[in-house]
Amino acid sequence: MMSAVKSKPSYLPLAADTGGRYHLLLGLAEGSACLLRVLQELQNFAPASWQRTQVLFASTRASAAAAEIKADPFEEIGFEGAVLFTDGAALLAHARTILERSLMGTRVYIAGPESFIGRALQLAAAFNLNKDEIRAEHIGTAARRVHCVHCRAGTEDVRTNIVRCSGCSRWLLVRDHYSHRLAAYMGVIVDAEAPGELPPIREIYS
Amino acid sequence: MNSAQTLNVVVTAIEQVTPLIKHFTLAAVGGDPLPAFSGGSHIIVVMHTPARAHRNPYSLLGSPRCLDRYEIAVRRMEESRGGSHYLHDHIRVGSRLEIAHPVNLFGLDKIARKHLLIAGGVGITPILAQLEELQDGSTPFELHYAVRSPQHAAFAQRLRERAGASLRMYYDSENQKLDIDALLSGQPLGTHVYACGPAGLIDAVVATARNLGWPGSHIHWERFAAPPVGDAFEAYLARSQRSVRIPSDRSLLESIEAAGVEVPYLCRGGVCGYCRTRVLELDGELVHNDHFLSDAEKASAASIMPCVSRARCERLVLDL
Repeated sequence: MMSAVKSKPSYLPLAADTGGRYHLLLGLAEGSACLLRVLQELQNFAPASWQRTQVLFASTRASAAAAEIKADPFEEIGFEGAVLFTDGAALLAHARTILERSLMGTRVYIAGPESFIGRALQLAAAFNLNKDEIRAEHIGTAARRVHCVHCRAGTEDVRTNIVRCSGCSRWLLVRDHYSHRLAAYMGVIVDAEAPGELPPIREIYS
Repeated sequence: MNSAQTLNVVVTAIEQVTPLIKHFTLAAVGGDPLPAFSGGSHIIVVMHTPARAHRNPYSLLGSPRCLDRYEIAVRRMEESRGGSHYLHDHIRVGSRLEIAHPVNLFGLDKIARKHLLIAGGVGITPILAQLEELQDGSTPFELHYAVRSPQHAAFAQRLRERAGASLRMYYDSENQKLDIDALLSGQPLGTHVYACGPAGLIDAVVATARNLGWPGSHIHWERFAAPPVGDAFEAYLARSQRSVRIPSDRSLLESIEAAGVEVPYLCRGGVCGYCRTRVLELDGELVHNDHFLSDAEKASAASIMPCVSRARCERLVLDL
C-alpha cells in the first residue's frame, strides 16, 4: 500500500556508486545480502576498489548461536576484514570513529531494518553527508521506531497499528509521518476523546 | 527582475587596487541603508551609454553587516563589450549608477564542517564577503588565492586580516603552483569547495573534485560568462508578436530588452537559470553558452538561456 504521507521514506535497492573513491558499508541482519551485492559490483568495476572499502556488519539476533555471530558472510566472496558486531548500536559507535577520519569522496551504504537505517542516517547527517553520498536499502522487519509527540519518548520495535508509549503509557496511533531528524514515526494519542475506547489493534508492521 | 526594481546609487570612492582592477564603493542616493545581502551575492550594474545599455553582474565584496555601502571590484577586460571600460573610464566619484537588488547564487553551505575557498585573480571578490561570515570561527576554512604576481594581488591586506593563517597565496610570477589534486585529496568529510576565477581554474577544481569522488552537492563555483559574440540572427517572439534582430555583438537577452520586451533575469551570466526561455520553432541549431542546462537539455533544443546563448538559424521562435 502506498502511503499518501510524503515523509514516509522510500528506498531503492543498493547499487555501488562507482563515482565514489572510498566506500563504507553498514549492514544489520538480513542487510548482509545487500552489502554482498555492492561488494560484488565494486569488484566487477575495479578490483582495487576493495582496498578502499570497509564493511561493518551486525547480526543482531539475540538468540543466534555464537557460531552464527562469528561467521563472516563476506569471506564467501573473498572479502576479508569485515568488522562484526552483535548489535546495531555498537556498529554505529564504531562507524562514527571511522567517519571522523574519513575523507571527501566517501560513499556510505546502509542496509537493514528501517530503524537501523534511520539511526545510521542521523549519524551520517552529523558529518554533513548529503543525499548524493548515502544510499540505503530496507530489508528485514518493517517494525517501526515510534516517537511519542506528547512525551517525546521513543518506543522501539513496534509492529502494531496502535502501541502503548514506553514513556507516558498513552495509547498511540502509529502514523506514516516520519521524521528524518528523529529517525522515527510519529505516535499520536488515539483515545483522547473517549479514554480506553480503542480501535482494533492489529499487527501490520512485521 | 525589471527596471522597476532597481536602486539608484552614487559612487563614493574609487581605488585602483591593481593595474587592472578598480574598487568602487557605492551608497544609496539619499543615504538610506542598502538592502541586506549574504556573502557570495552579486548585483547587476545597469549602465546607460549613448550607444546602448549594459547590465553586468559584479560580486559584492564588502561586509554583509555594513549596509551603508556596497563594494564591487571591476577588472578591465581586454575584450570588453564596453561595460568594464565604461566603469573604468567614465565613472568618477559622485557619478550615479542604477543597480538591481543583490542575489546570491554562491552562498556558503550553512551546515558544512569545513569550507575550502579557491580564488584566482578578480574571482576573490565574492570570497571576500564570504570571509566576513566566517569571522565567528565556528567553521574551519582555508583560502587559496592564485594571482599573476604580488602587484596583482587585490585586497591582500584585507585578506590577511580576515583569513590570517588560513590564507595561502600563489604567485605565477614566482612559479608557485596551486596543486589542486593534492589539496582536494586530503579533505575531511563534510568539506565544501568554492571556486571563483578564470575558467581554467574553475574547470580544474570541478574536474579534480569529481575525479576524487566529491559529490556535486559539495562543489560550488561561480563564473559570470560575458555574452559571447556570434553570427547575427533573427528571433520571433510569439506572444509579443514581434521580430527581433540580434546583431553579432549583442546578446539575445539584450536585443529582446531593447525591443521593449521584459525577460526575467538574475545573473545575466548563464548561471542561475532564471531567464530560461522555451523554444517553439527552430530551423537551425542553438549555440548554448550557459552552465545551467544539462547536456541532455542542451541537445533537446527545447529551451535556451538568452543571456549568453545564441542560435545559428534562419528562424527561431521563442515563447515570449
